[in-house]
Amino acid sequence: MIEVEGIEKTYTSGSIQTPVLKGISFRIEAGEFIAIMGASGTGKSTLMNILGCLDKPTAGHYRLDGTDMVSLEDDALSRLRNHKIGFVFQQFHLLDRASALRNVMLPLIYTDPYPEDADARAEKALTAVGLSDRMTYKPSQLSGGQQQRVAIARALVTDPVVILADEPTGNLDSQSGLEVLAEFQKLHRGGRTIVLVTHDLTVAQHASRIVVLKDGRIMEDQRVTAPRDAEAELQRQRNTEDTR
Amino acid sequence: MNLSRIVQEGIGTLAAHKLRTFFMMLGTILGIASLMVVLAIGKASRQEVMKRVNAFGTRLVKVNAGGGKGYTKPQAGVTTLRLEDAEAIRSSITGWDIVTSVSQRHGIPMKAGNFQTTADVFAVDSDWHEAMDWPAQEGDGIAPEDLATMAHVCVLGTRLAKDLFGDENPVGSDIHIGNIRFYIKGVLTHHSASPGGDDENNRAVIPLTTGLRRVFNQNHLTYIRVRMKNSSNVPIAAEQIRQLLHDRHHITPPQTDDFSIVTAAEVAEAARGISGTLTVLLIALAGLSLLIGGVVMMNILLISVTERKPEIGLRRALGATRGAIAGQFLAESMVITFIGAAIGALLGWGVSLLLPRYTSLKTVISWEPFALAVAFALVVGLVFGVHPARRAARLNPVEALR
Repeated sequence: MIEVEGIEKTYTSGSIQTPVLKGISFRIEAGEFIAIMGASGTGKSTLMNILGCLDKPTAGHYRLDGTDMVSLEDDALSRLRNHKIGFVFQQFHLLDRASALRNVMLPLIYTDPYPEDADARAEKALTAVGLSDRMTYKPSQLSGGQQQRVAIARALVTDPVVILADEPTGNLDSQSGLEVLAEFQKLHRGGRTIVLVTHDLTVAQHASRIVVLKDGRIMEDQRVTAPRDAEAELQRQRNTEDTR
Repeated sequence: MNLSRIVQEGIGTLAAHKLRTFFMMLGTILGIASLMVVLAIGKASRQEVMKRVNAFGTRLVKVNAGGGKGYTKPQAGVTTLRLEDAEAIRSSITGWDIVTSVSQRHGIPMKAGNFQTTADVFAVDSDWHEAMDWPAQEGDGIAPEDLATMAHVCVLGTRLAKDLFGDENPVGSDIHIGNIRFYIKGVLTHHSASPGGDDENNRAVIPLTTGLRRVFNQNHLTYIRVRMKNSSNVPIAAEQIRQLLHDRHHITPPQTDDFSIVTAAEVAEAARGISGTLTVLLIALAGLSLLIGGVVMMNILLISVTERKPEIGLRRALGATRGAIAGQFLAESMVITFIGAAIGALLGWGVSLLLPRYTSLKTVISWEPFALAVAFALVVGLVFGVHPARRAARLNPVEALR
């Protein structure tokens, strides 16, 4: 589904060349929930941008759902992002002035032709993340966890082949973070392919596979035999609060 | 690309930032409003010019005694314009319809019975009535025999008739013009008073020969009216007459002329006068303020591109092409100038309506400036929107999202 083959990325500034990714290869099968881990400066953001078709590698190949994005023009990349990728960002990136529903509908504006059932699809996506009663709320009227769930609904609305989440819990308290992770695990159980980028091992342990980057190379790539269960953790947290 | 959705995104952004949008619109509003007012004033003054030109007559070449440039008046003291000049014009200029000579004096005492007043005396050729399109409504006009016999007959203007005879019909009565007795053979039709306030109806019209020999005791004319058959021949005829009179009066430029020639062109020039130049200047100023408004809008848009980097990055990540981003910003700039133009046009329309009420300025409102305003505004929106739109479209989504 996702095939990454010998990807290199070197930034050139004047005569100084800074290699960030030094030959990365892996495959992600449909339905996998994979965490890409690494400290800052290990190239995980760069890899994330390439996986998200926002940036092109200096060398190597990246096939997404059978399409090699390296050879594509800018407009074709835009369409590829629109159709095949759902983004979830650390800072949510919601439009302040628009309701939750409008925010979720945003990617559909760039879908050609504009889907007749755009409203219904956005409502369905919001319902899927448990926000059916918050559709008309503006982002400022929602909690951080709710805002990130709106962002997840926005990522789902185009029915993409992969969801790319870049530090989705980075701006959230632990409970809201667990709620968001529980959402991802639910989507995973429903068959979604999810790539989660994080520096936090505890967060990464919610995925079923962890790829660890170091110094622009893959240092480790292993299955997680018993992933953490966000829903169960939430339940435990609630119980502790109740007993207090 | 879903153009209407993208335009909606642009409008949504504008609606969300009302104050910023207003400032972006302000230049267009004021520019278009002033353009509308200036055009309305310009149109009114053009109509005024046409009115005066038509009143003067487009086929007319008027030769006045006395020099001067432009729309001159005849000078009373100049004695060089003669009947022989009129005769020479008749014989050496082609294409004329009527050549008629006039000698006039202002403020001559008039007396009939116990009533007296002062009025103008016009000594004219018999074709004067036709040349002026000014017949007698009662009795008869001046006839060729009157000139041949130097008859003491006259035709009165309605004002003079009323002043001396009241409501009585003066035809058949006598009148003293100066000290000379005249028989009243007719009364002219009434002319509405000119805007200058001169009452053209306060006059007595007498045969030219009688006027020159018996009343004024002179040989010179006040002016010669040459009506051409065709208005297109007027400029050439004017030049030929000038040459002819130079020869006859022994004038070699740069000596100054002792006559002046007035045609519709001079009248139009005089009527346009300062207001014509001023209108052009004001249109230029209004256009300039539109341009400045465009530049202001462009700068605010450029700032907003920088401010909205994350939003642009997000849209790019969600699948917006460069074209879609550029389209959104262009839609914003064009909606701004379009709405600005609409408001400005209404404002200008209102001011154009009120101006004549509170000032001496005249305005004529027509639809052309509205169409012009809208077209101009869309062009300004396009021209000054392109740069911000391109800058927004060229943002690297990775950097914009940071």
